[in-house]
Amino acid sequence: MRARVVVTGLGVVSPIGIGISEFWKAALAGQSGISAITSFAPFAMDGYRSKVAGQVRDFSVERFLDSAHGERVDRYAQFALVSTKEALADSGLQMAKEDPHRVGVIVGAGMGGMVMGEREVTQLYEQQKPHRVHPNFIPTITLNSASGIIAMAYGAKGPNLTISTACSSSAHALGQALHCIREGRADVVIVVGADASITPLVFAGFCSLRALSSKFNDQPEKASRPFERSRDGFVMGEGAGTLILESASHAKKRKARIYAEVAGYAATSEAYHMVIPREDGLEVAHTMKLALADAGLTPSQVDYINAHATSTTIGDAVEAKAIRLLFKSRADKIAISATKSLIGHTLGAAGAIGGIASVLALQTGQIHPTANYEDPDPACALAGLSRSAQERRVKVALLNAFGFGSNNAAVVLKQATT
Amino acid sequence: MATDPTISLKIRTSLGDYLKQDPATILVTHHLRDDLGLDSMAVIELLYRIEEAFDLQIPDQDLVGLTTVGHVVNYVEKRLGKTAAAAPTKKPATPKKPTSKQKP
Repeated sequence: MRARVVVTGLGVVSPIGIGISEFWKAALAGQSGISAITSFAPFAMDGYRSKVAGQVRDFSVERFLDSAHGERVDRYAQFALVSTKEALADSGLQMAKEDPHRVGVIVGAGMGGMVMGEREVTQLYEQQKPHRVHPNFIPTITLNSASGIIAMAYGAKGPNLTISTACSSSAHALGQALHCIREGRADVVIVVGADASITPLVFAGFCSLRALSSKFNDQPEKASRPFERSRDGFVMGEGAGTLILESASHAKKRKARIYAEVAGYAATSEAYHMVIPREDGLEVAHTMKLALADAGLTPSQVDYINAHATSTTIGDAVEAKAIRLLFKSRADKIAISATKSLIGHTLGAAGAIGGIASVLALQTGQIHPTANYEDPDPACALAGLSRSAQERRVKVALLNAFGFGSNNAAVVLKQATT
Repeated sequence: MATDPTISLKIRTSLGDYLKQDPATILVTHHLRDDLGLDSMAVIELLYRIEEAFDLQIPDQDLVGLTTVGHVVNYVEKRLGKTAAAAPTKKPATPKKPTSKQKP
């Protein structure tokens, strides 16, 4: 029998709060973390079509970490260190008592160290002094800098991997961690999703893709409105989420609190288009179906979906269509929420933070509101969406995440049975 | 109402470059998606070239209705103040929402 895998610790850095308690309180209150961008100086925002984002305000790594590990890594890895510190403390895991080779780290990151990346590139082209490129440039921008520094901070010597599949990165990180523990290659895997690339170049790139909302620049908190009629693109966010995954037997042995079970996972490719999803929703429906089958569950058992729901015109409609295709008449009985309505799209962190919202829904029976769901778009109306927090018994939750490069992920979480 | 030949040619040349097709074969009546096979990302790339060629910034909101070559030509003319009239197109515009099709 394959090992069951459970979640024993949570940590988060988000635009609506640093720390699970602050995050969840704000999420249930439907508080928006979207605000006007002010950090691009000396760039004026005039040239940007979109001018709003879900930013983590007043973050300084020194406030959260005693060690020096945060000093030489980029903002996204600092977020990852802070959310991981919280999650490990929450799990009660003591590394001194663990076999370090049985503790792995799997990070999902879409963009990586873009803050330093942009600064060094700009400086080199402006000053033309190659010898002045910072010696830490390469180790900082390398996408596995977060997984590396987390391992160093905690002495985790097991599998150390970074998954980069754009916006689904950390949903795949959860899935790969599930496989890793199921296959017996680790007892514990620290799963992290992190991105912090609200930078002048990356943000301009998303503007040029015309992927971002631009209609609500004067009302930032209104800009992210998944499934709503007047949605016009996603709002970029930043943050990190950490979930401590371990085998159920390992968790029981150390008498850890078990939040939920990670029961199934599926990864597929639509093999279709770099940025556009297939409009028929077939591949998304197929991905959800495969994840449920992996969990040994049927669509009739799903109580809650944490939707990918970025607030783009087509993306949301495709996801809603896929939910209808798979769940048929049950689609309207399932509670659904879009975490991105509150914090924007945190790219590589989105799967982990959506996973945290799913675990908390399983644990508390509370589902956070989908902000700005004022006028349901008939193309994606689902009865389980609400502008208010919902109270429901959630036994099975499904997490969706889709990414550029035509890739899809679905993760199934369920209440842990003892 | 005739369109400005320079603007029309520039836009059809941009399209021809992108599609690897003789600009002369591209007509103002052509539908960007149905006749020329441009998906939403390709339309965004085309508009990016047009912004560069005409030193324009096209806001997202203006994308609605730019579904034929003629619409794009008219739009650019209007923005450059060359003519206030709409050029005839055999296929009337079906307003669409071509923006934010991405699924990041």
